[in-house]
Amino acid sequence: MKTYEIVIGLETHIQLNTTSKIFCSCKADSWGAEPNTNICPVCSGLPGVLPVLNVETVRKGALLAAAMHAEINPVSYFDRKNYFYPDLPKGYQITQFDEPIGKGGYMDLQMPDGTSRRVRIHKLHLEEDAGKTKIEDGERLVDFNRCGVPLVEMVTEPDLRSAEEAAQYLTQLRQLLRWIGVSEADMERGHLRCDANVSIREAGSTVLNTKTEIKNVNSIDAVRLAIIEESKRQIEAVEAGQRIQSYTLDWDADTGTLRKMRSKETEADYRYFREPDLLPVVLSAEEIAEVIASLPELPIERRARFIQDYQLSAYDADILTSERSLSDYYEESVRLFGGAAKVVSNWMMNDLSRLMNDTGKSAAELRLRPIDLAEIIRMVEGGKINPATGKSLLGKVEAGGGKPAEIVEREGLGLIADEDALSGQIAAIIAESPAEVESFRAGKESLLGWFVGQVMRRTGGKADPKRTRELLLEQLKR
Amino acid sequence: MSSIRLSARQIAQKVRAGELSALNVLEDHLRQIKAVDGVPGSLQNASLDPAEEGKVHAFIEVSTGLARQQAEKVQTMVQRGEDPGPLAGVPVSIKDIFCVKGTTTTAASRILYNFRPPYTATTVERLEKAGALIIGKTNLDEFTYGSSSESSAFQPHPNNPWNTQRVTGGSSGGSAASVAAREAPLSLGTDTGGSIRQPAAFCGVVGLKPSYGRTSRYGLIAFGSSLDCPGPLARDVSDAALMLQVLAGLDPKDSTSALAPVPDYLAALQEGVRGMRIGLSRDYDHITYPDTLTGEMSVQSIQPEMNSAVRDVAEVLARLGAEIVEDVPMPNARHGIPTYFVISRVEAASNLHRFDGVKYGYRTSAPVRGLSELYRATRAEGFGLQPKLRILMGMYVSAAQHSAQYYQKALRVRSMIRSDFELAFDPQGVYRLDALLTPTTPTTAFRRSEVMGDSVLMQYSDQMTVAGNHAGIPAVSIPAGLDPLGLPIGVQFFGMDFREDLILRAAYAYEQATENADWRRAIPQALRESEVSA
Repeated sequence: MKTYEIVIGLETHIQLNTTSKIFCSCKADSWGAEPNTNICPVCSGLPGVLPVLNVETVRKGALLAAAMHAEINPVSYFDRKNYFYPDLPKGYQITQFDEPIGKGGYMDLQMPDGTSRRVRIHKLHLEEDAGKTKIEDGERLVDFNRCGVPLVEMVTEPDLRSAEEAAQYLTQLRQLLRWIGVSEADMERGHLRCDANVSIREAGSTVLNTKTEIKNVNSIDAVRLAIIEESKRQIEAVEAGQRIQSYTLDWDADTGTLRKMRSKETEADYRYFREPDLLPVVLSAEEIAEVIASLPELPIERRARFIQDYQLSAYDADILTSERSLSDYYEESVRLFGGAAKVVSNWMMNDLSRLMNDTGKSAAELRLRPIDLAEIIRMVEGGKINPATGKSLLGKVEAGGGKPAEIVEREGLGLIADEDALSGQIAAIIAESPAEVESFRAGKESLLGWFVGQVMRRTGGKADPKRTRELLLEQLKR
Repeated sequence: MSSIRLSARQIAQKVRAGELSALNVLEDHLRQIKAVDGVPGSLQNASLDPAEEGKVHAFIEVSTGLARQQAEKVQTMVQRGEDPGPLAGVPVSIKDIFCVKGTTTTAASRILYNFRPPYTATTVERLEKAGALIIGKTNLDEFTYGSSSESSAFQPHPNNPWNTQRVTGGSSGGSAASVAAREAPLSLGTDTGGSIRQPAAFCGVVGLKPSYGRTSRYGLIAFGSSLDCPGPLARDVSDAALMLQVLAGLDPKDSTSALAPVPDYLAALQEGVRGMRIGLSRDYDHITYPDTLTGEMSVQSIQPEMNSAVRDVAEVLARLGAEIVEDVPMPNARHGIPTYFVISRVEAASNLHRFDGVKYGYRTSAPVRGLSELYRATRAEGFGLQPKLRILMGMYVSAAQHSAQYYQKALRVRSMIRSDFELAFDPQGVYRLDALLTPTTPTTAFRRSEVMGDSVLMQYSDQMTVAGNHAGIPAVSIPAGLDPLGLPIGVQFFGMDFREDLILRAAYAYEQATENADWRRAIPQALRESEVSA
C-alpha cells in the first residue's frame, strides 16, 4: 500500500461577542432563550425594514484579522447571498464576498513536539447568522433568535496535514479568540463552528485532489474523529480504484459516522451582488493603525518570552499562557514579588490553579490579586510564615478578602520568632521522649523528622522548620 | 367653502390659527373620497357597476379611524395652545407600499393581502409628527412594478381624474390621482424609475423625486433598493416644498440616508430664477426604443406637445432672467431603460425572496409536500405577472454565467449615466447648469389597457425620468399645460445632488409666472360632477 498524506482546510464560523446583533439592536446572544423571543422586524425579515451595521462587529473583525496577520481591507463591502430556506427570513444572507474585511494572513501553531507549523489564512469575512429549524411531530418549526448574530467566517488554505494538526488549530484558535476578546469561543454554544475540507494524496505529491466537505463538526474531538474517519474512507476508496467525489458530509457525533448530505457537483448559484442597503465599510489608515496598536501580545509570542525571560519550562509556559488573564496575573505577580520568577510559577502552577479549580474562577475573577500572592510568597520565602500557612492564606484571602499580612497578624499565624521559647519547647520534647532520643543517638537519624513533627504539633505549626531542625540537632547531639 | 380647495399650506395655517378644525378638514376630504373615488381596490371586485368606470379608485383602504384620531390629537393641541406642526390637519394619502402601523400594507399584491406591519415607515412617522392626517392607502402597480397602476392585484385600478378612460400612470398612480381629485392635498409616493414623476405628469400635479438618501427608505417595501426614493406629490410647488421639508433628513434606521443639511425649501422658492442656468438637451426630445423583432435600437419621436411645452417653459424662465443653455449632451440617456431593466430586476428579485409564505402574508391553501412545494405554490398564487417577470429577469441577469455580461455591465453604464449629469452640473465645467429641463414623459396619459401587457413598451414610458434614479439626483415634474385632448403635460427639472431647493425654485418661478394661464383653470373630468353639485 502506498503512503498517503491528508490535506485539510478548515472553515470556521466565529460568533463575535458584541452586545447586539450585527444589523439590529437585539441582543447578540440568546442562549437559553425561548424561540423567537429575541427578534425584531429587522432580523426576522419583515418587509420594508433595513439593516444598520453595528460598528463594533467591524472593530472586532478587524482585530481578529490583525491577530491573523491578515491585510485589513480599507474598503470592504457587504453582499447578498441569495437562497431560500425557512431559517433565512429575508431569503438572502448579508455577507461579505469578494471584498472581505481581511485577506490573507497566517497563524503559527505550536505543536506538542515542540515544532511550529504555519497555517495560511485565505480570508476573513463578516456575516450574519441564520436561524434554526427543526422538525417536531411532523411539523417544521423555525426559531429566528440566532438570525443576525454577528459571525466572522475564516477560511484556511489547505495547509493542515493531520487530524491532530486540525485539532491543534482549533484549540489554539479558540485560545486566541478569547485572548484578544473577540469571541467567547464556546464550541458547545456554537460560538465556534467548523467545517472541514478533506482530501488525500500520495505522500510527496503536491496536487490537490477532489475534496469532501464535512459539516457540523462542532467539537475538537469531533473534528479529530471525523477527519480520521473520512481520510480512512478516502484511502480505502482510492485503494479500491474508486474516484473521490465532491460530497458534502454530515458528521453525526452520536454515532461517530459520516452521512452524505448532497453531491456538490451542481453547486448552488447564490447570485451574489452588493447589498444596496448598506454603505461600503471604510477604515481609514488611522483606524487600521489603531486596531493594530490595540492588538495585545499574542499567546505564542508571550509563551516564547516567558521561556526566555523567566526560564520557564515549555510545559509551564504553555499553562501560564493558556489564558490571557492568567498570564497577565503571572507577570504582575512576578513583578510585585521581585524575586525568582520560577518561585511564582511554582505557586501558580500548583496552589493558585487548585484555588481556581475549586472556586471555578478565572484568574481575572479571583479576589486574591497578584499583590496578595506576591506578599504571601514574600512572607514564606522570608521565613515569616511556613509554606503550609502560606497556602492556607490563599484560600483565606479569596474567601474573606483582607491583606495577607493583616490576616497573619490577626490570627497569629506568624512563625515563632523567639528562639528561647522554641528552644524550651524542644528541650521539653527531648525530655519526654527518652526512647526516641536513645535510638537517634544510636544512629537512627531518620527520627529527626519525627522530632520536627512533635515540635510542629506543640507549636501549632508556627515553628520555622529550618530553625527547628537546627536547634533539634544541636540539643540531640549534645 | 370646502377645505378640499385649499392648499396644504392654507389648511395648516388655518388649523394652527384655530380658524379651521382638523376634524372638519378630514370630513371634507372623506366626503370628496365618497363622491369621486368609488369602490376601493380589492381582491374580489369581479363584476363592477358600470358607474364605477367613471370613478377615480385611488384608494385601497381609507383609514378613517386612524385619521380621525390624528385630527382629534391636532385639535387638542390647538386648544391647549401647542403647535401641532407644519402639516397640522393636512390629509395625506400614502402609497400602499409604505408600512403604516394600524393599516394593512399590501404593496397591491395578493401575497401581502393581510399584512399588518407592527411599525411605521420613517417618512410616514415624520408626517404624523408634523400633524398630518393619514387618510388612506393608495393603489399602485403590484410592488410598484409598472407605469400605469393597472397591474395592481387590487382592482379596480386607479383611473386618471382628467379622463377616467386613461391611466393615471404609475406606479404612484393612486397617489397622483388622489391629489388631482382633491381627495388629499398631499400624497407620499415612491420613485424608482419615474414612479412619482410620471403619474404626477399624467394627472397634472407636482411630483418630486428627492436625491437618493434625502428621504428615508425605512418602512418602504423595497423594489430596487439602490434606486427607490420616497417623495411628495402635491397640487403646487410650495406644497411639495413644505412636504419635502417634513420628510427630508438623516434617519438612523436607514444607512443610506444622507447627513447633508436640509435647507429651508419654502424660503428658497422666493429667490427666483434670475441668473440660474437651465439646460436643454436634444437627447431628451425623442426616445430610443428597441425593435421587437431585431432588438436594434431605433429613434422614435415623442408627442410634439411635450417638446413644445419644454420650449414654452424655457421661454418663460428666460423672460424671468434665467440663462438657457442649449444642446447639453446627455449621450447616455438612451441607455437608461436597458440599464434599469437589469439593475432594478436583480434587486427586485432578491427583495422578493422574503415572500415565501412562511412568516406572514399569503400562504397557499393547496396541500403541499415539503418546502419547495410550499414556496412554489405560494409564490405562483400570490404573485401577479409583473413580480414573476421581474424575478425571472433578475435571476437570469444575475446568474453566475450571465452576471458579467449583464449586471456588472449595467453597473458600469449606470456610472456613465451619472457622469453625463456630473459634467452638465460641474461648476467649473462648460455647462455649469443649475437644472436640466426635459419633458417628464414621452406622451400624455395613454388609454387603459393600451400598453398593459407589453412590459417593454410600458417600461419605456420612464425613459425621460429613469436617469435621475440611476444618478441618484433630484428631479421634479410640474404641470405645464394640456394637450389637445385636454390631458395634462408634465415637464421635469433635474438637479444636482441635494439641491432640491434649486429645482423647486425654477419650478416655482414658472408656476407663478403662469398662474393665470387658461389651462390652469381646467377642471379634471372626474371632479366636474361633484364641482357642479358642490
